Amino acid sequence: MAEILLSEAEKAFIHHGVQDDLRCDGRTRLDYRPIILETGLVSNASGSARLRLANSDILVGVKVELASPSPDKPQEGRLEFFVDCSANATPEFEGRGGEDLANEICRFLQRSYASGDTINLAELSILSGQQCWVLYVDILILECGGNLYDATFMAVKSALYATQIPSIKVATMDGDQPELELSDDPYDTKRLNTENLPCVVTLMKIGNHYLVDPTPEEECCSSSGIVVAVSGNKKITAVRKIGSGSLHPDSLVSMLKTGSDVGAKVNKTLMIKLLEEKNLEKSQKVGFMR
Amino acid sequence: MGMDDMLTSKVFLRKTKRGKVLKVVREHYLRDDLWCGSDLCKKCGQENSDVLDQSPVSSSTLCAFPHYVVIDTNVVLHQIDVLESPAWKNVILLQTVLDETRKRSTNNYKKLKEIMATRKDNFYVFVNEHHKDTYVERKPGESANDRNDRAIRKACSWYQTHLEESQKGIEKKKRIKVVLLTQDLKNREQASIEGIPSHKVDEYVKSLKDFPDLQEKLAASHSDSNNENREPLYPEHLAPTRIMTGVKSGKLLQGIFHSSRDNFLEGTVSVEGQDKSILLQGHASLNRAVDGDVVAVELLPEDKWTSPSDIVLEDQEDQDPGDEIEKEEKLLNNSTKSKDRIPTGKIVGIIRRKWRQYCGILLPSVLAEGTRHLFVPAERKIPKIRIETRQAESLSSQKIIVAIDSWPRTSRYPLGHFVRALGNIGDKNTENEVLLLEHDVPHHSFPETVLACLPSMPWVISQEEVKRRQDLRHLDICSVDPPGCTDIDDALHFRELSPNLYEIGVHIADVSHFVRPDTALDKESANRGTTVYLVDRRIDMVPELLSSNLCSLRPDQDRLAFSVIWEVTANAEIRKTRFTKSVIRSRRAFTYAEAQCSIDDSLQQNELAKSLRGLNQLAKIMKKNRMDKGALQLSSPEIRFEVSTETNDPIDVISKPMLDTNSMVEEFMLLANISVADHIFKHFPECAVLRRHPVPPASNFEPFLKAGKTQGFTLDVSSNKSLAASLDGAVKPDNVYMNTMLRILATRCMMQAVYFSSGTVAQVDFYHYGLAAPIYTHFTSPIRRYADLLVHRLLAVAIGADVTYTELLNRKCVQQVCNNLNYRHKMSQYAQRSSVALHTHLFFRNRVQDEDAYVLYVRQNAVQVLIPKYGLEGSIYLKGNDGDSKLCFVYNPDEPSLTCGNVTIRTFDRVVVQVSLDSKYVQHQKIAVHLVNPKIEGLCVEAIETPKTMEPSPKKLKGVK
Repeated sequence: MAEILLSEAEKAFIHHGVQDDLRCDGRTRLDYRPIILETGLVSNASGSARLRLANSDILVGVKVELASPSPDKPQEGRLEFFVDCSANATPEFEGRGGEDLANEICRFLQRSYASGDTINLAELSILSGQQCWVLYVDILILECGGNLYDATFMAVKSALYATQIPSIKVATMDGDQPELELSDDPYDTKRLNTENLPCVVTLMKIGNHYLVDPTPEEECCSSSGIVVAVSGNKKITAVRKIGSGSLHPDSLVSMLKTGSDVGAKVNKTLMIKLLEEKNLEKSQKVGFMR
Repeated sequence: MGMDDMLTSKVFLRKTKRGKVLKVVREHYLRDDLWCGSDLCKKCGQENSDVLDQSPVSSSTLCAFPHYVVIDTNVVLHQIDVLESPAWKNVILLQTVLDETRKRSTNNYKKLKEIMATRKDNFYVFVNEHHKDTYVERKPGESANDRNDRAIRKACSWYQTHLEESQKGIEKKKRIKVVLLTQDLKNREQASIEGIPSHKVDEYVKSLKDFPDLQEKLAASHSDSNNENREPLYPEHLAPTRIMTGVKSGKLLQGIFHSSRDNFLEGTVSVEGQDKSILLQGHASLNRAVDGDVVAVELLPEDKWTSPSDIVLEDQEDQDPGDEIEKEEKLLNNSTKSKDRIPTGKIVGIIRRKWRQYCGILLPSVLAEGTRHLFVPAERKIPKIRIETRQAESLSSQKIIVAIDSWPRTSRYPLGHFVRALGNIGDKNTENEVLLLEHDVPHHSFPETVLACLPSMPWVISQEEVKRRQDLRHLDICSVDPPGCTDIDDALHFRELSPNLYEIGVHIADVSHFVRPDTALDKESANRGTTVYLVDRRIDMVPELLSSNLCSLRPDQDRLAFSVIWEVTANAEIRKTRFTKSVIRSRRAFTYAEAQCSIDDSLQQNELAKSLRGLNQLAKIMKKNRMDKGALQLSSPEIRFEVSTETNDPIDVISKPMLDTNSMVEEFMLLANISVADHIFKHFPECAVLRRHPVPPASNFEPFLKAGKTQGFTLDVSSNKSLAASLDGAVKPDNVYMNTMLRILATRCMMQAVYFSSGTVAQVDFYHYGLAAPIYTHFTSPIRRYADLLVHRLLAVAIGADVTYTELLNRKCVQQVCNNLNYRHKMSQYAQRSSVALHTHLFFRNRVQDEDAYVLYVRQNAVQVLIPKYGLEGSIYLKGNDGDSKLCFVYNPDEPSLTCGNVTIRTFDRVVVQVSLDSKYVQHQKIAVHLVNPKIEGLCVEAIETPKTMEPSPKKLKGVK
């Protein structure tokens, strides 16, 4: 991740702020920065979302495609994640520079979504053992403004929420070959149940305290932290430790506890906002023309 | 207007062939500068629009106010013929309608485009899909159809308000309204809610009091016929997707449906790649297929297979049976022995309809004032068609054209509509027109572009042209043709080089000099393919200037020719062959009879007579050699009509005589064709245009062998040589005509000879069965056959006399041309036969005659006879004169024979029949054949005169060329 050069004095200032529960930008330890979210802005994709968390900018597109299910899970569809760190975000991403970070986020997405509590993959099945939907989730990181994990997960969840899966019918079966019939009505689509899709909370330990939604400067000051994926029904589906420093078991437990609380709250707020957007009168897309 | 409002996008999902689902997004730009096209409008930018009048006048009583008409897509789709009428004025065509039409029916779209092009002043195209006020986006849950309907209504109401603004000062009654015409009930209901006047198109058309005839052209609308509630008569067709998968998996077979000529309840489906076609019997199995349709067939289990019926069955009710299907059991015999069984199936779906427009007549209806009538097509293979017309009275004496619209399950016959009348029944011009249309013979006069390709007159051969060619004007060349022939395409010469060595030349009109590749003339003649000879008319392949003048090898005129010149010994052995482009001057145009005279009259010692004798001598040797190799002499009855010069009606029938000179000319033409075939194949093994005559499969010979057996002959059909020998041996002294009959039957076992490109067929299959030649082509009649023209071009390139072009060397292109030629050739033969039949009709108009006839086939309920004098075939139905079948015939299918009392009828028996024109119905005349002798009580009619005792002479024997 992008390294920021900070002097010792600056670091001490951030430390003290955290201690006093008043961060540089005026937040408390458990406050998020403002988030801007828009879904459905990429008309060619089946579902899309763009999320801006302060200066972190993420664009997610979901493409649905027909495929055959994997033999060990004939009744289920699949999700495939792909993260691309644009060189626009920071010069360090140029060439293959962003690859490590991309893989890291990608793996964590897969792990968090692997739990049966997050998504019911049977929804994506069309014909057991024959045909299913595969959702290709493409994540493009356009700008790094700290806390990429949280931003990415929220954007993915929003894009999946907005994804419209065309309704398809098995018209006839003949021998082994199913004949699929696609509805000619572009509005004849279904949405996934995204209630329980995980949101992620990154908790950074600075001094004896931990905080959520760190800015890049705060990330510099911290030597360790954890990333907690929390599903909509408040279950922790994946945890990952970041940073080189160590964590005391007591503080780990406490961080997990806080993480799952904050996660549930983020999840709930996000769902409310998404529903709000869906029920809005159809209006012009904002996109990047702001 | 902000740019954002003018850009929308159309989103739709598409499944690709490989099974992917694509989301397609198209940008769709709207405009605010599209004009409404009305002369009245002052808001739009247009000046003096002449499409939509300022004060439209219409004769509609239904809409007795000034109005413009907006038509819905269903009107274009179902009533395109109505739209052709000049009755339509001030019509607004919406782009929605155009787009939908193009998607649903390319045919109708093409027709609509034509209508729009010819009647620009009456149809205004409004691009409503791109107008900012009339574009509508599809709503969730709305079908594409409903959206289009809404778009149409939106355009209507936009027009209404738009026009209102320009006619504020005008009193209300005189204001222009926009009327929507649609067949869709839902759309009409919705329109009336939105305050748009709307009507059904048929009601509107019926209310046009200035065009009372227009309603005849209305297609039968199936939506409101009472058929809906009735029991379906036919099984349903499978959905296209199911047919596709069925065919793919091999469960269903795809093929072309041919209905039987003899039995309307029977048909076959020829499946590509299978030599035996599939039999279909009964209404349910035929399942609404019409001859030529591409259908999907399901095979029945083997224990339900049957064999073709022995019964001749015409869908003959002279009255309209309504929508009942008769009991089929008695119409089809099911008592078949297992060995005769062939694959039998049923049609489960139609893949592609091959409906066209049909010529025919109206069946006289019981209720003349009624509007539902039955139409009887001239082509026997096409079912009757139900049409609605009010003009039955006046149409009953006319030949008319009818198009099929649909064939619902509940209707016994397909539903159609009247297109146009051709003229009076029995009128020769009408009938000629009918048979040309029916056989798809292009017979329009040559367009200007084609005529522009002709050389200008007076035409002389330029000196450069003479230099390029060999000058053969010094040779004594002559032509021999039938009397009255004006398109002379071949001429001959003969001279002695040394004792025992002769030079023979065949000179063919050099049509390829005039018809250059890729010109309009070339395209036109390639499409026509062949000249069609009707009894009283010739439809030329190339314009008359060429066919009867510049190309015709007239006597005493210099003409361009393509010559084949051989050096031949007295034993007709060929020593040398060469080909050259030449200039010739024919000394004389003989008729066959004149040439025969010159040969026979030993007093004539001029050069030409000597040449003819020499040629005749050689021809006889060559013919014998050919026969020894196994060439067949087959027969088909050929007659000529003696035509009255004043009325052009036939007054007598004569058979064409066969003279030595006929076969002499034929012999040299065969020789030329074979020599040329050899040469072009050597030079162009991939793309030579050749002609082959396939060996008929053994199964074809079954009826022939059966017939031979009844006469006690064992016929050997294993090869053409043995067949020829068997035919020569099968002679009965007491029945001279029997041998000719056998040859006629043998002809019917043959396959069609076809043109092909040499690259598409294995060399062993080049064989010409009838001529017993390993390779053959057509070279000698380029004036009347396009294939010969192609061969000329190939040969010219081969000898370095001309340059080639790409299409000529591409075997696929060549094969495509050949396919068309084969089709045209077949159709022209049918047309010629029909023309003879037509004249036979005319001949019998005021005649009843007793004639000798021979039994061709014996069927269970009929005897089919051939009357050699007229080359006429007819069926004697064993029904009895009074209609009730008290007669008991015993049918023996093995022989086959029919016995009644002490009379037995077998194949080839000579009988006496009475031929007359059955004029029970003036409209539907046909030749009736009744038995006179042998006498069978209740079936026979009295002889009108003492039967002639003379034996008919065998008619012209004709080889299969």
